[in-house]
Amino acid sequence: MHSINILSIKNLKKSYGSKEVLKGLNLDIPEHSIFGFAGKNGAGKTTTMKLVLGLLRPDEGEIYVCDKKVSFGQTETNKYIGYLPDVPEFYPFMTSSEYLQFCGELCGMDESSVKARSSELLELVGLAGETHRIGSFSRGMKQRLGIAQALLNSPRLLICDEPTSALDPIGRKEILDILYAARGQTTIFFSTHILSDIERICTNVAFLEEGVIALQGDMSTVRGTYPGNEYIIETVLDGDADKLVKAFPELKAVNRNTLVCQEDNGKLSQVLRYMVDNGIPFYKIEREAPSLEDVFMKVIK
Amino acid sequence: MVLIIVFVFIGILNPATAKMIPWMFEVMADSFKELGMTVSGMKIDAMTSWTQFFKNIPMALIAFLLIFSNSFTKEYQSGTLVLVLTKGLPRNVVVLAKSLFMLISWTVGYWMCFSITYAYNAYFWDNSIANNLFFSAATWYLFGLLTVCLLILFSVLQNNSGEILLEVGVCVIVGYVLKLIPVTKKFSVLTLADTAALLAGTAKPDSYIMAIVISLVLDCICIGTGVVCMNKKQL
Repeated sequence: MHSINILSIKNLKKSYGSKEVLKGLNLDIPEHSIFGFAGKNGAGKTTTMKLVLGLLRPDEGEIYVCDKKVSFGQTETNKYIGYLPDVPEFYPFMTSSEYLQFCGELCGMDESSVKARSSELLELVGLAGETHRIGSFSRGMKQRLGIAQALLNSPRLLICDEPTSALDPIGRKEILDILYAARGQTTIFFSTHILSDIERICTNVAFLEEGVIALQGDMSTVRGTYPGNEYIIETVLDGDADKLVKAFPELKAVNRNTLVCQEDNGKLSQVLRYMVDNGIPFYKIEREAPSLEDVFMKVIK
Repeated sequence: MVLIIVFVFIGILNPATAKMIPWMFEVMADSFKELGMTVSGMKIDAMTSWTQFFKNIPMALIAFLLIFSNSFTKEYQSGTLVLVLTKGLPRNVVVLAKSLFMLISWTVGYWMCFSITYAYNAYFWDNSIANNLFFSAATWYLFGLLTVCLLILFSVLQNNSGEILLEVGVCVIVGYVLKLIPVTKKFSVLTLADTAALLAGTAKPDSYIMAIVISLVLDCICIGTGVVCMNKKQL
């Protein structure tokens, strides 16, 4: 099946003064994906998102949202996009439903559909019974209201800038659950430096490093890029680990009685035979698939 | 709310100060005598109060500028502006709506202050002894209006309230310097704030026309440039 790209970025460059943040970024986001955008702090994730929203002027390169070109300033493509900034701030004197009403008017939605959609979204984000003013909201509540306002006009692309970074573990889980629940309605593009969040909900991922995309693709492809399956051998007696390392110098000692054996050197069967022959007892021998973190570390090293 | 209080307070302060001056001199007469000075022939009338009005109104303007100096910057810094812009609010509407609100606030506040002083003066004394009273009030109002327009322009350009106020201040100083130079005096909008001669009847309204026209043109330029710059501002 041919899947279209909801967002397409070609050779995007952006500098602040002499600091070059983006150095020719290329990115394609397929429709109906949950796209994780990973990178270190200051790698240029927020800059990329603001460029997509037409809030910043690119030095070079082109951005297409739903096949329409993004222009700096007043961009028409924003009608396809819902945006959640990292720390969303609202007018504190409004209540959440008043704010959504206000947003609905800005989007040009009619009153009855704003009402219906607001109550549906406030239900989704768990703010349905909340009648207090936004000024008294916690960070997590603001984040949830941020998702509700971003989804208000049923955008085809939802852009979330580090939606979980500032939250406690419970708040993080709630936001991830809400995003996961919203996946049927829209394509989600979210940035984060928390890789476990990406592993939890994303279908696709891209790593931003040194102003370019170092690696991108669907999760299984990305994981498979560095086929570094490892076996972890944990011996019972401390001395046995040393004995094994002496016999097989390619084994890596992690601590007193834990060794790591790389799959690709084909030594595992020899190690196992050696252990059986010499009667070396073990607690466990475990195969470990590379985590996203391992891949990320390899990509950015 | 704070603004209403400031404008009402200054409106009442002017006649009140005028009323209090003789009383203050009486209280201090003894100490003046010790210094060998005598005070006599103090004449208090509506002119005293109007002089106070034009001395005090700059304070109201400064308070106004301080209060509104973060009208834009607050939104840049907290990010509320980015959210409404990405929701589809046109950038020029942001500038025009905020400008309209500020200009209306200045207009209502200034004339409210004027009306209060006018009413008290009419009650205590006689307003007719002040020459060109409404014209003087209008020129000062236009001077205030121009500073508000400058505040709007710099609010679009800068992200920091301190810088905005500083730049408005620099503009006023430039206007003041222009006023000191005889050749450029006629063109300086700062002459709009010179009401003493008008009130005394020694200056003619005609001589203010150039400054009035220039100030109105500058108002339009400020707002227009503000709109253009907002459309190009990186947020």
